[in-house]
Amino acid sequence: MPSAPTREELHAELAAALQELFETEPAAVVETARLYEDLDIDSIDTMDLLLRLRQSRGRHIEPELFRDTRTVGGVLDVLQALD
Amino acid sequence: MEKRQVLVTGASRGIGRATALRLAGDGFHVSVHYRGSEDAAAAVVAEIEAAGGSADLLQFDLAEREQVRECLEARIAEQGAYYGVVCNAGLHSDNAFPAMTDEQWDGVVRTNLDGFYNLLHPLVMPMIRRRGGGRIVTLASVSGIIGNRGQTNYSAAKAGVIGATKALAVELAKRKITVNCVAPGLVETDMTDALPSEEILKAVPLRRFAQPQEVAGLIGYLMSDEAGYITRQVISINGGLC
Repeated sequence: MPSAPTREELHAELAAALQELFETEPAAVVETARLYEDLDIDSIDTMDLLLRLRQSRGRHIEPELFRDTRTVGGVLDVLQALD
Repeated sequence: MEKRQVLVTGASRGIGRATALRLAGDGFHVSVHYRGSEDAAAAVVAEIEAAGGSADLLQFDLAEREQVRECLEARIAEQGAYYGVVCNAGLHSDNAFPAMTDEQWDGVVRTNLDGFYNLLHPLVMPMIRRRGGGRIVTLASVSGIIGNRGQTNYSAAKAGVIGATKALAVELAKRKITVNCVAPGLVETDMTDALPSEEILKAVPLRRFAQPQEVAGLIGYLMSDEAGYITRQVISINGGLC
C-alpha cells in the first residue's frame, strides 16, 4: 500500500491545481493565505477545485468537508485527514 | 472549430421553436428540448438540418428533477458541456386566486420556478469547467414584473425566476458566463391564442402582439459574443405594456 502523501506533497499538488485552474501564483499559496480575500477563490472555485482533486486522487471527496474551510492550511488539513 | 452547443427548452413551438431556429442559424448546435410534443420537436430539428444547421432532440419533464438530472448528465458525458442555455419552457394555468386549486399552484410553480433549478443545477458546473465563458437566458414575463389578474401562480413563479437569474448572474460573472432574463409581454403563440386580443391590445402602446421571432432575435443577441458585457439584467420586450 503506498504511503500517504506528506503535507509538503499535498501543498505542491494544491498549488499546481490552483495555478492550472485559476492562474493563482504558486508563491501566493502559503498556509495562512485566505482563499477568498487573498487568492480570489470563491465557493464555486472551491467546488471546481474539489472536482479536480477528485480526478487526480481518484476518490470521492465530500464538498461538505470544505464548507468551513477558509485558508490554504485548512484545505491541507482536510486533504491530510483523508489519507 | 467545433460548434458551440446550446440547449433550448420548450423548443417544439412558440418562442422556443423560433429561438432554436434562430440560434441554429447563428451557428450553434442546438439541443431541441420537448416534454410531450415529439413530432413538433422533430420537425424543428429537421428544419434546422434542412437549412444546413445541426441539432438533436432531448426529452424530459422539467418538473421531474431526477429525470432532468439523469438526462442532462448522460448528454454531457456523451457530448460535452453546453456553452449556452435558454430556459424557455413554461406553462400557465390561470384562475382567480380564491378559485385556484392546489394542482394549479403547484403545477405552475414546479415547472416554471423549480424548473430553473432542475435544469440549471446539472448544467452549470460543467459549463464552468468548460472554461470558455457562456450564456444563460431565462424567460420570465410581464406577469412576473407587474403581476397579472388570474395569474398569482404564474406571476409568483416568474418573479422567482427573475430573482434566481440575478443571483446566478453574480455567481457566474467571474467565469464569463452571463445570465439574463427576457420578459416578454403578449406574444402570438399557443399560450395567447385563447385571449380576447382586441380588449387586451388596448393596454399595449404598440397595439399588437409580438411575433416569436422578435423575442428570438433578442435572445439571439444575448447569446452572441457581442452581448458579453450584459449580465444580471431583465430585458422586457412588450410593446410598451409597462
